[in-house]
Amino acid sequence: MIIVKDLSVERLDKKIFENINLSLTSGNITILKGRNGSGKTTLLKTILNIIEPSSGSIYWKGKLLKKNLYDFYKHVTYIADKTSSLTKLTVKDNINIWNKIFLSNINNSQIETAIKNLKLENYLNHKVGILSFGETKKLEFLRLIIENKKIWILDEPLSSLDEDSVELIKQTFEDHVAKEGSIIFSSHQNPGIYVTEEINL
Amino acid sequence: MKFLNKIIFFFYREYKLNLSGVQDILTNIIFFFVSIFIFIFSIGPDTDTISLIGVGILWTLLLLSSTLSLRKFYQEDFENGNLLIMHLNGFSYGLIAILKTISHFIFVQIPFLITIPIASILLNITNDKAFYLFASFSIGSLILSCLGSISSSMNLMNQRNFLLGSVIVMIFSVPVVIFSVGLINLEEDFNSLINILFGILLIIFVINPWASGFCLKLSLENN
Amino acid sequence: MKFLVNPNKFNKVSNYLFKPVLVLSIILFSLGLLFSFYLSPDDYQQGSTVRIMYIHVPSAWLALLTYAIMTIYSIAALAFRIPFGFIINTAVAPIGAVFTLVCIISGSLWGKPMWGTWWVWDARLTSVAILFIVYLIVIFINLSFENRVIKEKVVAIFILVGSVNLPIVKFSVDWWNTLHQTATISKLSKPSIDPSMMTPLIIMTFAFMMIGIAIAILRIKTEIISRKLNLS
Repeated sequence: MIIVKDLSVERLDKKIFENINLSLTSGNITILKGRNGSGKTTLLKTILNIIEPSSGSIYWKGKLLKKNLYDFYKHVTYIADKTSSLTKLTVKDNINIWNKIFLSNINNSQIETAIKNLKLENYLNHKVGILSFGETKKLEFLRLIIENKKIWILDEPLSSLDEDSVELIKQTFEDHVAKEGSIIFSSHQNPGIYVTEEINL
Repeated sequence: MKFLNKIIFFFYREYKLNLSGVQDILTNIIFFFVSIFIFIFSIGPDTDTISLIGVGILWTLLLLSSTLSLRKFYQEDFENGNLLIMHLNGFSYGLIAILKTISHFIFVQIPFLITIPIASILLNITNDKAFYLFASFSIGSLILSCLGSISSSMNLMNQRNFLLGSVIVMIFSVPVVIFSVGLINLEEDFNSLINILFGILLIIFVINPWASGFCLKLSLENN
Repeated sequence: MKFLVNPNKFNKVSNYLFKPVLVLSIILFSLGLLFSFYLSPDDYQQGSTVRIMYIHVPSAWLALLTYAIMTIYSIAALAFRIPFGFIINTAVAPIGAVFTLVCIISGSLWGKPMWGTWWVWDARLTSVAILFIVYLIVIFINLSFENRVIKEKVVAIFILVGSVNLPIVKFSVDWWNTLHQTATISKLSKPSIDPSMMTPLIIMTFAFMMIGIAIAILRIKTEIISRKLNLS
């Protein structure tokens, strides 16, 4: 579905990466590997058309992604390396807001099972500000379930998670791929997640 | 319909956020009243003088206290990545700018509008003038919100010198203040001056999504 | 004319231009001072103070001209993606600020004997003061951003928004009844100024312009070099 051709990005006249080729079809998991500062986040943001590439092109469903942007955005969930939940509000409010603003077609019972799986059910009425970083990160993953979209673009999803959660993420990835979804994520190590393509930056 | 729903829930989100930080808004208003007190103490409690310059004082203080909360305009949503997520969910940058401006008007400027009658009692302003003040500020505050949107989106990546944002708003609000205060003091010219204010509002309302949207895109790109 | 949009060409051309411009500015400036102090008559109303005009008017024109140049280059830089415009914006803003300051100070010195006050809040004076603050904000934005790419674009947008002030400055004397006199020199109609005062005024304008260009060449060159070395 997504095809990236000869992508290069320059910032402040400095080359960040050159000639990246990548293709993502349904049922694929792609991992981006590389040391710190190698441009993993930049590549993900370039695919999302947040950053303009200096050369190269990205195609979505055979058309240039730029011309088809909002259709592309309808099918993609992005999780950044920072947590986007609102720290002043409770976990429940956050979930409510996401549910409404993303016009989710997921019913409540599915969300409840997801909350249970992520072991967040005891914190529902707590403010997000008092949760630990790992817990806010897990709360962030709830967005994947709520938005219910085909392509997941994840920036460092595995950092600062305990083993159980990593196992859960693995399971979620496999379920998603089985439902013909596709995933692209960045990470510096791969804890045994089955990937179809590996890109070293 | 979907689009309308999204906008409604955007405002629901803003409402929730502002409700949880209601003390910030109240602090703004307290700042406004305390500065009125200080003004009165510094010129002396002579009622004639106060009612003569009261309108000018009120406009100045309204302007100053509404620029106080500029920092919150986009900064939080920018730093925790919510702007990006909203953009990925079908809000274009310009639309985000318009919605944020309107929500700033509702949640920051309307409380000031509500307190204007009380403030004009404190400053001995006559009822007619208080009404004109109310009318001019209800248009002027929307202009201020638009200016605030532009300047705070410009300064998103400016970590060092945030006061610059307030200065930018204040320098561009000079014509607004001139026409608003002129409107209050020259009552017979009410219609023509309020039309000028409306004209400024229309111009700035059209420029706002373009300029703020461009700055938001720029800041997200270089974050 | 490509040197106006291309840094490398600008470097080459300015190497040839710099010394002649500097020499010319010195000649013009001494000639202009000579004219304005000794070879021009006193005004029948204002007496000798009219000579302040030979500083005041050129600096006011150049302050406006500098901002207009910045506006044009901002449009070029944003719309046609000519990065040289950003270099011009950063380099030229302090020059414009200095011209505006000279204009304000000389005007204030002129106002004391003529109007009896250093400063009045009429439309022309206020709008020039705002122009000065706009210049200062441009300089401050330049100083306070860390990321160059975003800095230069924000500056360009601010200059575009601030250019609303330009017509206000120019036409404030016509639109409002101000203490400041209306323009006495315009291209369309016959100027209402005596030729003996016109000559030093024109010479001083060109002298100011040449000084401005000489400083601008130096500043633009430093800006180009610091960009090449990634200092800013």
